[in-house]
Amino acid sequence: MAREFQRGHKAKISDLTAGTDLYVGVQISGPGLTFDISCFGLDADERLSDDRYFIFFNQPKSPEDSIQLLGAQAGDTESFRVTLDQIPAQIQKLSFTATLDGAGQMSQIAPGYVRIVAGGEEVARYSFDGAEFSTERAVMLADFYLKDVWRFAAVGQGFDGGLDALLKNFGGEVAEEEPAPAPDAPAQIPAQTQAPAFAPPPQQAAAPQAPAPAPTFGAPAPPPAPAPPAPAPSVHTAPTIVGTTPAGGVGTPPGPPPGVPPQAPAAPTSPQMFTPPGAGPQTFTPPGAPAAFPGQGQPFGGATALAPVPPEANVRVVLTKYAEAPVGDRWTEQNPQLVRATLTKGAPILAKQGSMVAYQGDIDFAHKGSGLLGKLTGALTGQGMSLMRCAGDGEVFLADEASRVFVIRLQGEQLYTSAQGVLAFDEALDTEVRRIEGAGLHGGGLFSMLFSGTGAVAVKTRGVPVVIPVGPATYVDGNAVIAWSAGAQAVTTTALRLRRSGYARQTSEAVNLQFRGAPGNFVVVQPFEV
Amino acid sequence: MDTQTLSAHRAASTGVRMTVHSSKTLKVTMATGHDLLAKAGSMIAYDGYVQFDGAPANLRRSAEEMVSGEGGKLMLCRGDGDLYLADYGGDVIVLHLDNEALSVNGATLLACDASLELTIEPVKGLAKLSGSGLTNLVVRGTGWVSLVSRGIPMALDCAERETYVDPDALIAWTTGLDMKARRTVKASALIGRGSGEAFQIGFKGQGFVVVQPSEDTGDRFKVRG
Repeated sequence: MAREFQRGHKAKISDLTAGTDLYVGVQISGPGLTFDISCFGLDADERLSDDRYFIFFNQPKSPEDSIQLLGAQAGDTESFRVTLDQIPAQIQKLSFTATLDGAGQMSQIAPGYVRIVAGGEEVARYSFDGAEFSTERAVMLADFYLKDVWRFAAVGQGFDGGLDALLKNFGGEVAEEEPAPAPDAPAQIPAQTQAPAFAPPPQQAAAPQAPAPAPTFGAPAPPPAPAPPAPAPSVHTAPTIVGTTPAGGVGTPPGPPPGVPPQAPAAPTSPQMFTPPGAGPQTFTPPGAPAAFPGQGQPFGGATALAPVPPEANVRVVLTKYAEAPVGDRWTEQNPQLVRATLTKGAPILAKQGSMVAYQGDIDFAHKGSGLLGKLTGALTGQGMSLMRCAGDGEVFLADEASRVFVIRLQGEQLYTSAQGVLAFDEALDTEVRRIEGAGLHGGGLFSMLFSGTGAVAVKTRGVPVVIPVGPATYVDGNAVIAWSAGAQAVTTTALRLRRSGYARQTSEAVNLQFRGAPGNFVVVQPFEV
Repeated sequence: MDTQTLSAHRAASTGVRMTVHSSKTLKVTMATGHDLLAKAGSMIAYDGYVQFDGAPANLRRSAEEMVSGEGGKLMLCRGDGDLYLADYGGDVIVLHLDNEALSVNGATLLACDASLELTIEPVKGLAKLSGSGLTNLVVRGTGWVSLVSRGIPMALDCAERETYVDPDALIAWTTGLDMKARRTVKASALIGRGSGEAFQIGFKGQGFVVVQPSEDTGDRFKVRG
């Protein structure tokens, strides 16, 4: 029984099927259009750090065959075989994309779909059509991503550039380093034999771009603009240009004397780009440091020659990177530090005062003063947590001093949080202030909020938090604890002594909490003691 | 010496005027004839021959005070080489203006080409907000601009619908947007129980507003609702 996905929907793959050997079919077509369908294997930072996991027509499978391109079959334009349990640990996300080969735009496509088939049975299907897109030339269709377990997300997000713009997008910093793209694009594309294979792939990558009068920021691969008229050859010459730029720089070396000495040693490494890696004096492992290569090749002294402005520096292009995340459900993590709540009439949220950074729509902010909760949290926690009520119809963006924000969704479960850890929550949740058992403790961190019911709590942590499973003896600093599952019982401890002996100069004011609980419970701690 | 763990952070020399190194550091390629204005004190390193001076006289009175807000200064950087700038670990954004204009909340400007024109422009309808410390610094011309954001910024499209922004979280916006102040002050707020969100700036029109996920701008903003 296939589950229908809408754009933005997500699900655990284990909820769809017990199998891990999956068939992923993509059907996309349009009058007179041809498509390249590819799969990017991305690391935890959503970067294509290992180009052997860019699965496309020229590299039909990953090294250990966990991702394979199968070609058109069974009505699908393109199909993949994905064996989830064989995907290496560093690959955290598989992004399936379709790019136009040749002229056209995504709005012209006919209805298509992405589907997952396990054991011969279709278990999930995300349908899309051209009406969802406009002038984009690529679209990120769907993702498999690892968040504790493998999950499937229907993305359906258009992308303005072609295949190589997508590559750059996933390639990370290269997008900003300008002459880098030339040596770099090859680096991202499979290079079975290191050096000689460098030249051809970019040509293919660039080819789909060439015929298209690149829309706004199509940004064909080789921005080292010196000789851009013929796209394909320029790709070839690009490395040479990179090579000559230093030469030019060295040609005018006496200019800045202080600058030269450190640069001189760098100069010899520039040939590295043309010879296979390893020939260089550095101990780089070739895949490990692709980013370091291009930069290294340029002697710093050559800086006098300013490179041309890369197209990706354009204001619109830069801002697109930070654009609003696609519409999800009620709570969306816009970025790791910013959460978006979509409000509807009659379902307000409570948020920490002053945490609103922006909103769209008709939303009213009011002091949340009445009721037990407001009084108790204000009076008892000593944390001065005061809340505001956001009601109306629209979208609110909430953040607090660039803290990390995590949305925890409760479905009848219970969650404790410390007052400092709460950013916002659904008003529909039941809240209660609880005093942590234990005697002889002074202010701060003694009270916690218990959330129960159905809804979401956005918690914030300074820095990247640690989630610790509750064991027989789990101790946590009361000032660093953010949240814990309700099955874990918190008890204040006499560990003050322990602490004093352990850290001689630490004051004994900190409150230590001991957690006890059945396996499966957890505590969230931030790397920052308030 | 095994420096593999560090080599991933090696500075890449690209020749591009401005690049971002691992999201928090701005790298500027300096060349003779291409001077740079930067927030004073933001230099963390340079390689080559770079000189630092006070801001040119014509900027001293107006832009400089506004940019710094706290009595800091703009500095003029000249020379040849690579210059590295950062501002207390904030995220750096690099933009290239192509005969365009961008409005910047003065305090968030990290650096810009000296060839760009910096002007302070009053914003219609925002007189009410003058106490909030918001400065509308317009950067106009062709050249590079770098902004700093506390946390990963977000760009909101104002064409979709009217967008309201907390002035303390505002970084920059494209010019030509209609701006208006909105006060959500109610009777209850007058007796000291505001929602914490007393003022917002509304933006409407074709363009973007960039906001940061933080309202921690130090004591540059003394007046809060």
